[in-house]
Amino acid sequence: MSISSYRPELGASGGQRVSKFEQKNIDCETGSNAAELRGNGNSGRVDGGFSGSRARRSGRRGSLYLRLALSGIAKNGRTYLPYLLTCAGMVMMYYLFLFLSRDPYVAGMRGGDTLQSMLQLGSGVFLVFIVIFLFYTNSFLVRNRQREFGLYNILGMGKRHLARVLVWESALVSLISLAAGLFCGILFSKLGELWIVRVIQGDASMDFSVDAGAVFTTCALFLAVFTLILLKALFTLGRSKPVELLHSSAVGEKPPKGNWLLAIIGFAMLGAAYYIAVSIEDPISALVVFFAAVAMVIVSTYLLFISGSVKLCRVLQRRKRYYYKANHFVSVSSMMYRMKRNGAGLASICVLSTMVLVMVSAVTCLYVGEEDSLITRYPRQIELRSDGYEGTEHVAALAEETAKEFGVTQENVLAYRYVGVDSFMQNDEAILNYANLEGTNPIADMAKVMGLYFVPIEDYNRVMGAQETLADDEVLLYMVKGEFPYDTFKIRECGNWKVKGQVEHFTHNGDGYSLLAKCMFVFVPDIRVCNEIGDIARQIALEQFGRELDTRYFYYGFDTDADEKAQKELWEKLWDRRYEAENAEEIPHTTVTYREGERAMFYGLNGGLFVLGVLLGSVFLLATVLIMYYKQITEGYEDAARFGIMRKVGMTKREIRGSIRSQMFTVFLTPLLLSCVHTMFAFPIVQKILMLLGLLDGKLLLCVMLACFLVFAVFYGLVYLATSRAYYRIVSGTA
Amino acid sequence: MEILAVNNLKKIYTTRFGGNQVQALANVSFKVEEGEYVAIMGESGSGKTTLLNILAALDTPTAGQVLLDGRDLAHIREAEKAQFRRDNLGFVFQEFNLLDTFSIQDNIFLPLVLAGMHYREMEERLTPIAKKLGISDLLKKYPYEISGGQKQRVAVARALITHPRLILADEPTGALDSRATDELLRLFASINKEGQTILMVTHSVKAASHAGRVLFIKDGEVFHQIYRGVSTDEQLYQKISDTLTILATGGDRR
Repeated sequence: MSISSYRPELGASGGQRVSKFEQKNIDCETGSNAAELRGNGNSGRVDGGFSGSRARRSGRRGSLYLRLALSGIAKNGRTYLPYLLTCAGMVMMYYLFLFLSRDPYVAGMRGGDTLQSMLQLGSGVFLVFIVIFLFYTNSFLVRNRQREFGLYNILGMGKRHLARVLVWESALVSLISLAAGLFCGILFSKLGELWIVRVIQGDASMDFSVDAGAVFTTCALFLAVFTLILLKALFTLGRSKPVELLHSSAVGEKPPKGNWLLAIIGFAMLGAAYYIAVSIEDPISALVVFFAAVAMVIVSTYLLFISGSVKLCRVLQRRKRYYYKANHFVSVSSMMYRMKRNGAGLASICVLSTMVLVMVSAVTCLYVGEEDSLITRYPRQIELRSDGYEGTEHVAALAEETAKEFGVTQENVLAYRYVGVDSFMQNDEAILNYANLEGTNPIADMAKVMGLYFVPIEDYNRVMGAQETLADDEVLLYMVKGEFPYDTFKIRECGNWKVKGQVEHFTHNGDGYSLLAKCMFVFVPDIRVCNEIGDIARQIALEQFGRELDTRYFYYGFDTDADEKAQKELWEKLWDRRYEAENAEEIPHTTVTYREGERAMFYGLNGGLFVLGVLLGSVFLLATVLIMYYKQITEGYEDAARFGIMRKVGMTKREIRGSIRSQMFTVFLTPLLLSCVHTMFAFPIVQKILMLLGLLDGKLLLCVMLACFLVFAVFYGLVYLATSRAYYRIVSGTA
Repeated sequence: MEILAVNNLKKIYTTRFGGNQVQALANVSFKVEEGEYVAIMGESGSGKTTLLNILAALDTPTAGQVLLDGRDLAHIREAEKAQFRRDNLGFVFQEFNLLDTFSIQDNIFLPLVLAGMHYREMEERLTPIAKKLGISDLLKKYPYEISGGQKQRVAVARALITHPRLILADEPTGALDSRATDELLRLFASINKEGQTILMVTHSVKAASHAGRVLFIKDGEVFHQIYRGVSTDEQLYQKISDTLTILATGGDRR
């Protein structure tokens, strides 16, 4: 007998055509070849049959497995191709992730390091996602091929040989997806970079780089994941029996039990995550706990979908008056099975939808709101900041004269003196000297740091055109970020004040926005207080760092009627004049900034985040589509038989169709609704994180989130309709 | 009283593009009296399943009519057909066709639940039937936990629980071992004795030999029929065998 003569027949057995092929083969199995193969195969020991010619053929046999693996992939194209694409896509995205999170060019951008640390945190979530997602899609493939393997088994391939086919297949999948994924990843890494540059209207770096370390890490990680998947498939194969393989679909299935413990843990965890999201007050803690909350929400979503939903159906089943109603009877029990098989898939859809929603709305918000944030950060087109209060009138005069020379009219001039220090807040008491802190917990500490800006009340009145008066022991407050719910304000090193009130508006200088911490303005009765605090701060700096530091500043900012180019020229002129004046010691050390000059850097961060969010969002969206597709196909095959039985037992086609439609609808609506709830609870925490990035507009986030949800819901519905068409085609084909 | 009348039934399948026409039933006529136990025999491809599908109103004939209790199936609207099946027909299939998603009890309840019956009433109906079929202990189990013979008895229970006018059985012993087959045939005989009309399609001589009358279908026509009369099962078995031999060895009437 010749093995190669078998190849065409075995190769011809595609997944869907197995049954015909099987019949044909068993009917015409009169040849001795088949009989021999079969006799050995049933005992699961094929080596004996081959032993005579074993050595001679071992080389060719090796290629047989390879060819079987190749044809296995090719003939199952309808399910394998999406899987391959997914694997390659995941490899690509992971490489992109690593590349961008290590790219020195990105690191060089302003805020690039923040972006990269977020990327690295995100890549952990992404990796978890990859593992779950690939396992899920692969389990679908394996299930789909049970019959094919059963047939091979009965025709004479032992489990060891099937295992070899599996190993080959897995090797091929790994190779193809790694090669294709890395190729695309390297290609798109540059494209991604260029896109970022385009979004931020910056200058593109033209050099092309491949990150060997990232390539290596990607390969290593994915090989590990693929090996795990292979091991799982081998384990499944090892436990199965040949007849079961062949009739895997005909064997009745255990009803799902659902695990109380897991369901309760799921609920508790979700509750905890929601509580964290709602109760977090300061942006710093929000950033710290955000990823923990995300992980909790992911885990609890899976637990709830896998265990909780089954348990819920069980409870419903026990309520006989509810359960034994024509419409509930069928749907509750089939729902239970659906949830058992698709719980993981639905949870994935839910988690992915949530991620897409949260991420895309957050980054879109940043992108849309970046002009506002820029203006908040740089309230005036041209700004000067001087150290100390001496000679500030010269700074103002310098600016005025230069503007006049240029024929530029100054608008919205804003000038005031202030002291900017950071402090550690213990209730209503600010501690300026951190050496005075004992025994505090570092993570809780971060949340207590507050930036304090002291402005004399006369400057406040001048700037705001107000008539506020303060007694010597009174202050007025203006909150930039955070809250200060106390009637008194103390500084340990300086003194105590009564809080006269909190003002609604103040055109601040934008400094507070670059801080991650909370911050507020304190309007003090007299400039002496500012000087006093400035002295204390200088003292502390001397003690701790051994250098002079003046924390007293003078801010002078103005808008102009000039265009961008003229602004730049004015800024350059101011820069030079200031330099001369500084050297002549007419004015203190002064920096000059102009808003347009900062725009590129500023857009770098927000635009970069936007690009990344959109990229990731689209990947998650594609994954969602793929999961839906697989889910519909599997369910279609499973429901086809049930559909037939129900009809014979006395349901009309329309009733069945309606029942299935409503079940499918429920099953599909649940992830969407839950992800809506997730997103709602994510809102406060996301809003706080956006605060860190300088976006204070909560309404904008709300609108963007709503818009994202609507767009997503429509897209989701369309995908559902499209994939359910595949489902109905399969189901009605047999009914 | 006549429960079922089949008159000049004809069924032609046309392939999708209208190319080939396959005649499944040429001209089938027979009647079933109330309380009868009729077996229909024929080889694979003789049109048995087509006939059964038409009788179950799952398929429509090309020509001819089927009267159940004097009602023409063709005159029942599509929407009412399901209810009609539920109320008048009980099905027993070769592959049992139990639903994995339901416990044994719920599988049996399925037609009643669809008919909107109350739980208590369903239970009242179930208890005696389960007892008679020896499945009282299985009610809480699931299909994957019980044997083929047990599954078939569950299927019989599901067919009986609606008190149907007619039980249609499609190769009910086809997937059973010989012991389970004997059990099932005894069961059919006993429920028939209690007055239940049964129409069984089979190609098992043994199964047919338990019936009161055997119809033979060949090439889409009723070729021959045997009444049990006073014969024992064994004698009827012999008669059926002889008939099949004649059928197989070219006992063409023409």
